[in-house]
Amino acid sequence: MAMAAFETIDTDVAVIGSGGAGLMCVLHAAAADPSLDITVVSKGAVGRSGCTRMVQGGFNAALDPDDSPELHFDDTLKGGAYLNDQELAWTLVCDAPKVISELETVAGCFFDRRPDGRIFQKPFAGQSFDRTVHRGDLTGIEIMGRLRDQMFRLGPRELEDARALDLILDSSGELAGVSVLDVRTGAVALLRARVVVLATGGAATMYRIAAPAREKTGDGVAMCMRAGLELRDMEMLQFHPTGLLAGESRLTGAVLEEGLRGAGAYLRNAEGERYMERYDPERMERSTRDVVSRAGYLEIMEGRGTPEGGVLIDISHLGIEEVERRFPGMVQRTRQIGADLARGPVPVSPTAHFHMGGAIIDRDCQTSIAGLLVAGEDAGGTHGANRLGGNGVAESTVFGARAGDRAAVIARERDLREPDHGQLGRSVERAFAPLGRDSGASPFELTRALKEVMWDGCGVVRDGERLRAAAETIDDLAERVRTVAVPGPAEVNYAWQEALDVRNQLDVARAVVVSALSREESRGAHHRTDFPERDDERWLRYVVVGLDSDGELQSSSRPVALERRRLASKA
Amino acid sequence: MAEVEQATVSVRVARSDAGAETTFEVERFEPMTVLDLLLAIQREQDLSIAFRFSCRVGMCGTCTVRVDGRAALACTTPVERDVRDVRLEPMAGLPVVRDLIVDMAPFWDEWARVTPYLVPRAGLDEPAVIEPDSEERRRIDPSLDCITCGACYSSCGVSASGRDFLGPAALTRAMVLVADSRDAARDERLRAVGQSDGVDRCRYIYGCSAVCPKGLDPAGAIRALRRWRLGGGP
Repeated sequence: MAMAAFETIDTDVAVIGSGGAGLMCVLHAAAADPSLDITVVSKGAVGRSGCTRMVQGGFNAALDPDDSPELHFDDTLKGGAYLNDQELAWTLVCDAPKVISELETVAGCFFDRRPDGRIFQKPFAGQSFDRTVHRGDLTGIEIMGRLRDQMFRLGPRELEDARALDLILDSSGELAGVSVLDVRTGAVALLRARVVVLATGGAATMYRIAAPAREKTGDGVAMCMRAGLELRDMEMLQFHPTGLLAGESRLTGAVLEEGLRGAGAYLRNAEGERYMERYDPERMERSTRDVVSRAGYLEIMEGRGTPEGGVLIDISHLGIEEVERRFPGMVQRTRQIGADLARGPVPVSPTAHFHMGGAIIDRDCQTSIAGLLVAGEDAGGTHGANRLGGNGVAESTVFGARAGDRAAVIARERDLREPDHGQLGRSVERAFAPLGRDSGASPFELTRALKEVMWDGCGVVRDGERLRAAAETIDDLAERVRTVAVPGPAEVNYAWQEALDVRNQLDVARAVVVSALSREESRGAHHRTDFPERDDERWLRYVVVGLDSDGELQSSSRPVALERRRLASKA
Repeated sequence: MAEVEQATVSVRVARSDAGAETTFEVERFEPMTVLDLLLAIQREQDLSIAFRFSCRVGMCGTCTVRVDGRAALACTTPVERDVRDVRLEPMAGLPVVRDLIVDMAPFWDEWARVTPYLVPRAGLDEPAVIEPDSEERRRIDPSLDCITCGACYSSCGVSASGRDFLGPAALTRAMVLVADSRDAARDERLRAVGQSDGVDRCRYIYGCSAVCPKGLDPAGAIRALRRWRLGGGP
């Protein structure tokens, strides 16, 4: 397949991704220096891709005089089983109130109010104070709609339907920019930038039952890996306990929000038993996501699941009207599959939801590559071994904002670099290879196979044997992805895009499995039946993986710096 | 959900390449949405079919197509058990990029013209104190949650025919901001919607309010703007 000659676009700040982190980054960079040339690269529609848009629950921020960043911090560490990078977690809780204020007063969001007109905050699992800000059960639409509208005020260059392929360095190894594929035309561009901000979102779509939007295929993390960056906590993949089960439908895996359990929903197995009694008798259904997901998974595995392979969530005891009033979006979602949350139980399963792991960053989103910032789900450390509901959109917007501030500073200091054309050529060649083959594996088959192996081999509950088998299968799939074939043309070819997605997912999947194998204990979202206990003596350490110069994945571990909080009593 | 009928659905898809297959027999499963039909076609029959989607739960607003002539989100439109045939076409009034994918630029051009972002009034330094049952919020709240899916645009006889009209989505956004006491650009926006391509061009066909997947009422928003334009605000 012949490929078009590529153009070069020069920009000061290249933002890859247009979700909460990406657009907050634009907002802040432009505010810090209105003269900056900013480019947003979005694989899907700008502001309408990714997962910030899908946020139902809300945004944690200590706003009440009786609440405090300290309390929010303690909850975040406890939820994260003390694996958190404490500097990042502290930054999150300190900045979150500022960002809420900014979303309201600059971006124009309007969150739900108390009767006295001040911002209402609701309870959420794993938190010691009612601190979750929201707008009904469609919080993400309010945040992303308003941020998208800010782009009309700021006017960044928008490369919509454009996929970032690889980070491109110069001949001395300094960051020069990003290779970008225009999905509509099939043309490649080199985006030269003083600063590159990766904010593409996680890779939880690599599981059979998964919640995120389609764009979330670990593109940013895979780009970091290929550029030689180290990643942390990659084994920490969160399963949300209540994903919809809808058979073959793409609706399978869509989340029924956490607020249902907060409002008093019961979880029952097929025998009608409220099984949380056996896993967390004190907190029951309001326990943290890791605990509730594992309980549901074990019930299903031990034969107490429903015919659909799930457990049942039931909130109908609140009354039809009450459920319809408080959870309109969720009721509608269940009616779509022929169930009805307002009137009876609905089958659910744990669903792959969020990646706590990612690139290693400092509190200003800087990485070990000068000029490269990473924000949001592409970065690791803030949430440790498990993320609290309501801390996800807080992380994307807080760190997106910080990345924007930092990018404005760096853009004044860094020059544009001349890319290594050999590397650029290889990036493009690799991307176009599937179009040049007459026959080979189908990308959709590979995606399916990956989803199966990750669900079975590296899912809610893990063990060494299945992890090793999963690693082998992933190696096989990585071989097959090198033979994937897609019929042309290059223009608007979503089968080809799928092939590029699955390549990134496989890179990330291998990092997840290798990290899961090396953590020989259970903590947060990572549970191993062969090492079922949390082991603070040996494992108050985070796992680091990265590709060496031969392209081999290496893993090691480093002690968690307990600079702000020592270990409290075991969670 | 136990007994799945082994039936198929006949799907007719408007394709942009001459010669591309347009009719597909898709094996059905339960539950099934229009998006599921398209994914099945792509996976099993024709890798080249082009359509857009992201969240698949009615939040991103990117999978809008015409289903049997009516604009709808593919992901939230069920394929009922008794359905034998489905006809899928791209949204009306927007240039086709390929198959069911359209270029939304005309929609966004109109959106941009109403100054779609909040222009904060002086002194708005912290979240405003506004009671949830205030008149202001009762006007605004039912019109938030627009996902800019374009269904109203496609179904509007004026917008979709390419005539100069700000259109139902942009005017709804304008109404929301005009009613917002935190905003300082009310007069400017009321002037914009009062021009010849503004609220007066609406023919009250109510296609917009009928198809909105979020249950918003753009026609109602346009009526409100017509009143406010004369009085200088709500």
